[in-house]
Amino acid sequence: MGPQAMKSWQRIALVTLCLVGLSGAVAYAQIPKVPVAEFPYIGNRTAVWIVAQLHILFAAFVLGAPIFVVISEWLGYRKQDPRYDRLAREVTKVTVILYSMTALTGGLFIFVLLATYPQFTTWLTNHFFLIFALIYPLLFIAETIVLYLYFYTWDAWKGEKKGRHIALGVLLNIIGTVTLFVIDGPTSFMNSPSKAVAGMSLAQYIETASLWEKVYNYTWMPLNLHRLVGNVTFGGFIAGLIAAYMYMGAKSDGERSYYDWMGFVGNLIGVGALLLLPFMGYLLSYELCDYDASICPYMMADQLSMFFEMQGAMVGLIFLASNYYIWLSMKRIEGVERVRMSVLTVAVMVSLPLVMTLAWTIFPVPDPLSLAVLIPLVLAPFILGKLIPWLGRFTVSSRTVIKTGFLMVIIGNAIWMTPHGFVATQALAPEDGSLSLPSYDLFRVTAETTIAWADLALMPAKNAAAFTLVFVTIVNYILYNRAIRQGTIVWGKIDFASQFVLIFLAFSAIWTMGLMGAVRSLVRKYFHVYNLLPDFTAESFTPTLAYSAWWITAITLVFFAVVSFAILLTLRTSEAEAQAPEGGTVPAGAS
Amino acid sequence: MPQEQSFTRNVIKKGVVGLVLGVIFVVVAKALAFPPVFQAMFFAYAMLGAAVFILLDAPPLKPVTGGKALIALVVFYAVLSVVYVGGASLWPQYDPEVEKGKIIKLLKAKRAKTELGKTEELLARTQVLSEKADAIMARLRNVGGTAMAMVPAGAGEANATRRRLAASGDLVALGEEQWELQECYNCHTIFGKKSKKRGPKLDNIGNLMTAEQLREKIVDPLSWMAEGFEKQFKKKKMPDKYRDLMEDSEIDALVVFLTTLKNPAVETPKPIKKK
Repeated sequence: MGPQAMKSWQRIALVTLCLVGLSGAVAYAQIPKVPVAEFPYIGNRTAVWIVAQLHILFAAFVLGAPIFVVISEWLGYRKQDPRYDRLAREVTKVTVILYSMTALTGGLFIFVLLATYPQFTTWLTNHFFLIFALIYPLLFIAETIVLYLYFYTWDAWKGEKKGRHIALGVLLNIIGTVTLFVIDGPTSFMNSPSKAVAGMSLAQYIETASLWEKVYNYTWMPLNLHRLVGNVTFGGFIAGLIAAYMYMGAKSDGERSYYDWMGFVGNLIGVGALLLLPFMGYLLSYELCDYDASICPYMMADQLSMFFEMQGAMVGLIFLASNYYIWLSMKRIEGVERVRMSVLTVAVMVSLPLVMTLAWTIFPVPDPLSLAVLIPLVLAPFILGKLIPWLGRFTVSSRTVIKTGFLMVIIGNAIWMTPHGFVATQALAPEDGSLSLPSYDLFRVTAETTIAWADLALMPAKNAAAFTLVFVTIVNYILYNRAIRQGTIVWGKIDFASQFVLIFLAFSAIWTMGLMGAVRSLVRKYFHVYNLLPDFTAESFTPTLAYSAWWITAITLVFFAVVSFAILLTLRTSEAEAQAPEGGTVPAGAS
Repeated sequence: MPQEQSFTRNVIKKGVVGLVLGVIFVVVAKALAFPPVFQAMFFAYAMLGAAVFILLDAPPLKPVTGGKALIALVVFYAVLSVVYVGGASLWPQYDPEVEKGKIIKLLKAKRAKTELGKTEELLARTQVLSEKADAIMARLRNVGGTAMAMVPAGAGEANATRRRLAASGDLVALGEEQWELQECYNCHTIFGKKSKKRGPKLDNIGNLMTAEQLREKIVDPLSWMAEGFEKQFKKKKMPDKYRDLMEDSEIDALVVFLTTLKNPAVETPKPIKKK
């Protein structure tokens, strides 16, 4: 660790200070008739939004990166490949710096919240007192201790003691995950307070409910899963960002070779987790709609519908970029032109949007029959290739497969983004249909089900589109895997544009995270706690997408500025310390 | 992997293909009765496809380092920021003013119960009294003249409207206001508008349910089911929150409004008693 970084006692003091601040602030909030602070220009809600989102971004990284780090360390140990260990260590260095920022923004968040919404903050703290006063601080302290222990024992616990060090990393992740799950309790409660039992109003029930009853609400587990997967994606893309910065600043072929490899691994983890993210998001939305069906139109057809259009655009760009990175990665593999794939795979890829839209219209998710078409369809190339060997002989080049994949990503994204109408809310849609999809039926599938163009705006079509994006990306990675088995990767020789792709992925993923974070908060409408605690301030309306985009961009830029500084501070200054053997050309199979 | 083509040739070739496809999409979309805005969207997708394929076969980017790399990064972030803010601003924007008015009405009763609300109510009453006094003074000044006396305005336009409606006993109008405020239109349609799949049309509900039954349904959505909406009923699609969110008087007004919906020309599903 460089001399420029804070010492452990300073970091722990900072964390303690934040916790003391929290206690003091809670006490302050108990004083009756505390004057509410007014943030000039931006207003109280936007002030809380900025600080909360910044805190969540740092927290997501310090929770997501260790998952990535410990897997990398374990791979390095198992494969005896020092590059993985170096990668893990470098990401940990950045994590340690950003951990302080997490604590700092967390403390700031509490202060701003108390100054601007004292009554609500006190109410929430009282309802989750055990969490805020005991469980969360203890977990935070435990995580702080284990994180620094993990970092500072890196050199001491190597060789035979490496297993012990990896176990410490696993412990760090367990504590981190529990911390996430614990704080998700109050967060998800604000969106979906536990339903009242018969004969009681919601307010009466919540006053008497136990802590567990409040934590175990409709969206708690979906939020846990969504954030957990999101954090891994986040960690992977930030590792890609670190690699891109370092590649750009690399002075030798060896360094370029290493950071090219690191970018690929970071992106692989990021994309791997990203593939699960649409489904986790769907699960969270599904539970929100199940909790209160009026949330669904609010999100998809009303005030927030255009936020989801923007999300569709971002997801499309992210999938295009991640597949473009695979394309650029394949270009630097010698012998890639020999790699071919069954034409059946291409046929499945092309048929997915239409077939699955029909299947999911007849058997909507979560009907188990919804999988009855999907599973045979995606396994068809493999099964048919085995059963009818001559069929497997019809192949196409990897170039054709990837290009068809790009076409399907664009088509899939077009379906994802097709709205029912180009209006800010469907309530304002003109009756003449001049801004809406055509309403006539195309054909009848079953006695009750017809297919119309308007169905392009419904969930079966959106799910089919999301699945197409995921399927194409998986096929591209299978192709890449075949390519590295048959050819040789020339690390360090990747197209320089790939470094901008890595930065683009990190920036876009974080921007999307900010957008969807805003959506998750806004679905509470004019409530602090949905349907329970109204927000009487003048700012409890839904802001426009344009206004939100300004702040999401500003928050993302601030986060990037801090992360970029942390990367330069920790890695560029200690660059001279060469840690691992470097090579130009590495047999592809070795990685 | 691919044989690098000249970049200009690549751009022209893919650009032309994109344009041709875009025009075909527009023609087909027009023939299928898609509105112009969707035709434009399909054209934009054809051009996006062209851009992606141009990028795929573009020559490798020349590496930059040091200060040039830093400038490239700053420019890249600036472009991304402008594109994302600009992109988000291009979508139709919901006017917050519409919602602000709704929220004030929705929270009026709840706000009145808070300490702040009570203070505000007192201030509003004082304001009304003061305005009345001013109006009397104005009348006194204009005795025999043609000037109009000031009309007491109350705490605001919304409050004044509500007061007028309640005073005149126009519960139907208040009920219709609740229909809008509670956003019942997101799932149900009335006045012969196009139906929605989420909930039944209610054009003729006044002929099918009594006021008491309607109240029962609003307070406890599982008490009645609309024929043909078994799936939605089973999934408890109608929220059970209105008993907590709405004041008794607001439910009464909504019920009165619903009982006036008696249009047998529009088929409203038969209600079935479930509890």
